[in-house]
Amino acid sequence: MFFREKRLERQLQSEVQYHLDRTAQSYIAQGMDPAEAHRRARLEFGGATQIQEDLRDVHSPRWLADLRQDLIYAARTLRRSPGFLACAVLTLALGIGANTAIFSLIDAVMLQPLPVRDPSGLIQIARLSKTGDSRAVSYPLFEYFRDRLSSISGAFAEMSIVNTITLGGVEENVYGDAVTSQYYSVLGLTPAAGRLLGPGDETAPVAVISYAFWQRRFGLDPAAVGKTFVADRTVLTIVGVEPPGFSSIAHGRTSDFTVPLFMTEQINGGSSEWRQHWDMNFLAMMARLKPGVTVDRASAEVYALFVPWRNSTYAAIQSAFTRNLFLKEQAAALPAAAGLNGLRYEFFEPLAVLMCIVALVLLLACANLSGLLLARAASRQREISIRRALGAGNGRLTRQYLAESLLLAVCGAAVGFALAQWFSRALIAMMANGDQLDLSVSPDWRILAFTGAISLIACILAGLAPGLNAGKGNVNPALKQVRSGGHRRLGRALVVAQLGISMTLLIGASLFIRTLVKLYNVDTGIRTEGVFLFNLSTKTPFAPARALEIESAIVGRLQSMPGVVAGSAAAMPPIAGGLWDQRVQIEGYVIHPGEDDTVAFNAIAPKYFGVTGTPLLLGRDFNERDVAGSPPVAIVSQLFVRSFFGGQPPLGRHVTSANVRYEIVGVAGDAKYGGLRAPMSKTMYIPMLQRVGARPTGYTYFARVAGGDPMRLAPLMERAVPEVDPALRMRTPQTYADAIDQSTLNERMMATLGGFFGLLALIVASLGIFGIMAFQVSRRINELGVRMALGATRGNIVILVLREVAMLLIPGCLAGCMAAVCLTRFAKSMLFEVTPTDPAAFSLAAVALAVATLAAGFLPALRASRTDPMTALRHE
Amino acid sequence: MASDKSDLLQGTLDMLVLKIVALEPVHGYGIAQRIQQISREVLQVQQGSLYPALHRLEKRGWLRADWRESETGREAKFYSLTRLGRTQLEAETANWDRLAGAVALILKTVE
Repeated sequence: MFFREKRLERQLQSEVQYHLDRTAQSYIAQGMDPAEAHRRARLEFGGATQIQEDLRDVHSPRWLADLRQDLIYAARTLRRSPGFLACAVLTLALGIGANTAIFSLIDAVMLQPLPVRDPSGLIQIARLSKTGDSRAVSYPLFEYFRDRLSSISGAFAEMSIVNTITLGGVEENVYGDAVTSQYYSVLGLTPAAGRLLGPGDETAPVAVISYAFWQRRFGLDPAAVGKTFVADRTVLTIVGVEPPGFSSIAHGRTSDFTVPLFMTEQINGGSSEWRQHWDMNFLAMMARLKPGVTVDRASAEVYALFVPWRNSTYAAIQSAFTRNLFLKEQAAALPAAAGLNGLRYEFFEPLAVLMCIVALVLLLACANLSGLLLARAASRQREISIRRALGAGNGRLTRQYLAESLLLAVCGAAVGFALAQWFSRALIAMMANGDQLDLSVSPDWRILAFTGAISLIACILAGLAPGLNAGKGNVNPALKQVRSGGHRRLGRALVVAQLGISMTLLIGASLFIRTLVKLYNVDTGIRTEGVFLFNLSTKTPFAPARALEIESAIVGRLQSMPGVVAGSAAAMPPIAGGLWDQRVQIEGYVIHPGEDDTVAFNAIAPKYFGVTGTPLLLGRDFNERDVAGSPPVAIVSQLFVRSFFGGQPPLGRHVTSANVRYEIVGVAGDAKYGGLRAPMSKTMYIPMLQRVGARPTGYTYFARVAGGDPMRLAPLMERAVPEVDPALRMRTPQTYADAIDQSTLNERMMATLGGFFGLLALIVASLGIFGIMAFQVSRRINELGVRMALGATRGNIVILVLREVAMLLIPGCLAGCMAAVCLTRFAKSMLFEVTPTDPAAFSLAAVALAVATLAAGFLPALRASRTDPMTALRHE
Repeated sequence: MASDKSDLLQGTLDMLVLKIVALEPVHGYGIAQRIQQISREVLQVQQGSLYPALHRLEKRGWLRADWRESETGREAKFYSLTRLGRTQLEAETANWDRLAGAVALILKTVE
């Protein structure tokens, strides 16, 4: 490219030279003096330089050559001020990096297509809740749709499973999939080795492993096909390996082995009743559209088929309240090119809000950079004036500024892109919350295009203001070093914009932080500190009598541990899990039509309330005599009593549910289930030991520990659990505080990131204030000198400068508040006991901003007050 | 910028250049000489402006250029007409004739 241009230039010159020489020679031949002849030739030829310019234009368009020149010039000037360069690139890199990182997460969760054949032809078929969330289907509903839908060419049902598998003597907890026979044919996958599952495998003890698992456990050895492993207690034969890159049909979910759906009955030792029950909704259903069929048409067919099924099936529901709820259900086909919708629902809102936050951060970075460029322009005014005097047009000067910001944007994008890689990985670790989250954020074309686009926008936003401002300058005053105030106004406007954006970000941050604080201060009805809890896994199912024995033996072992104040177990520990609902009839209370006749159930071991710290207000706790065969008893919550008995004494009354008549023997305080945000529920506790048929793995075991780290029980119980039964293992040991932290993932993420970006904004805004005030002080040094000579005290000068800061701060704060009022209501559902216009959050943000900016303005103010009047007056 | 102006004169210059080159391969100086010889009194072409025109025509594929030895023994850039250039010349000549005829007709009628 460069050499070609050099050659072209040489040829142009020699062509023109030839012409000139020939013309001159012809004059010499006519007897003219050689010098005069050459002069005449040049004269006739016209402006040689202009012609050469025109010639160059023919070969490469003017703007391209100019752009090159502009860029080279920009690079040269930028290299001369490395401090500015570093500052500008870092500012942009933060903005671009944050945006790219959040976008890559959105891409990974929502946009990336599944690595299967023609992913756009895949749909998910789901029941829809009132709010439009997709819900799992039951096996009968799956069969109903699969056999009747005419718009699909195939369908499969899938559930994710987790099992302890033993391979080559090593025990490992592994996530997997249980699928129906068309799974691989609908997805259109080809095996990396062996074969995939298909028709005929429905009840065969076979498994397909993932490529990643093949690599990890077999080192890609083809001999893996035909090997066996034990999943819990079922021996499965590996028949094939999935292609590389594929893991599961939902982004973020790892699946290392895939088995036929019906095999789960053997693996998990369950019954096969789920095949007939319409109310056991636990399957994800996906299908492939016939060629040419749209998702909308398929969805219409799904709905049309669902209505008669729903009306006939749900008519059997006895409770009028529940029946009415179910009869409102809908069903639809959803586009599933990017897989199942699970992760999308979980993270869509936080990611959307985060995207807005980082967009503001980018805007802030642009305003900041714009201010920096403007300040640079001020110090380069003489250079600009000279260029203008030499004939550079407004457009050309503006382009020069844009070239500089383009160069900065390219550098910023490169650094930002690298930052984004690190940042998105950190975010995924945060989202995974200690679990596995298998998301690919490696750059694809969407991410590259996004980064390119926002960098270009940043470049234009940051470069335009100083560029346009340059166009307004007049040649003369600047050359004569007379100072004009044009860009001072623009500079102030930019600082106000920075303050406004920072204010908005700070308000957002304080809303999310206050939400988190409120959540952790909410009255849960339990004491969470000093509690250790764990679950069990087993390799064998137990007979009902043995299961009960094991359950009480584990609780017994827990209670005998050193330092344990109380040990117990529950089907659902408070906060972390949700309870199950059961219909009830209550002695002495008539449920009026339309009233919810279900209450929340929990099965608990004795001393449960001793562990949770929930007070037992009336009656007695369960004890070792409340076992299978003894009269069924129950403890109810305060809200239960208030709702059904009013002021009447509750003890001794009876509640009937699922044909069992329970006598109320106690009343406990209210406690929260299903998360910190959930309201208190009407709760009924039944004794674990009267609940025959439940499995030991269905309970969470926990203990209150007197002093010290509750986790010290973990290694002790790890050893104790297999002693109760060799098939048992301890799973997921954690403290209660950790369990609660897991339920507040989104809130913690928003508070952390919101706080981080708010702090960043605060720093950027302070730097902006510091910059402009230092600049102002250095400009007004004469005036300050005069003031001091006339008797102004140091304090007067400091106040004078700080008043200037306030003049910027107040409009900035107001603008930020107004923007926040418009924006924060979109995050309303993510807040807790805080309104989007929470006055406390707004004041908090304002105070933080005021303190930071006044502190930033104080340094220049101090310097101004230390001015020696004589020096200042002689300054110019 | 020269390439943006496309007035009558420029179009005419292009046509003249094509016409001259159509006879035999010739260098820029030669073309300038011929234009001056043919129309010294009528067309005042600044010699330098010939070159951007030549390069433009070359770029469009109407002229081909190669460096060879000229009559003075020095290397010069010779231009010759391409097949595309010949078609263009014919089209432009026809166009010019029509235009000239129309102008002549108007002038006659108005008289």
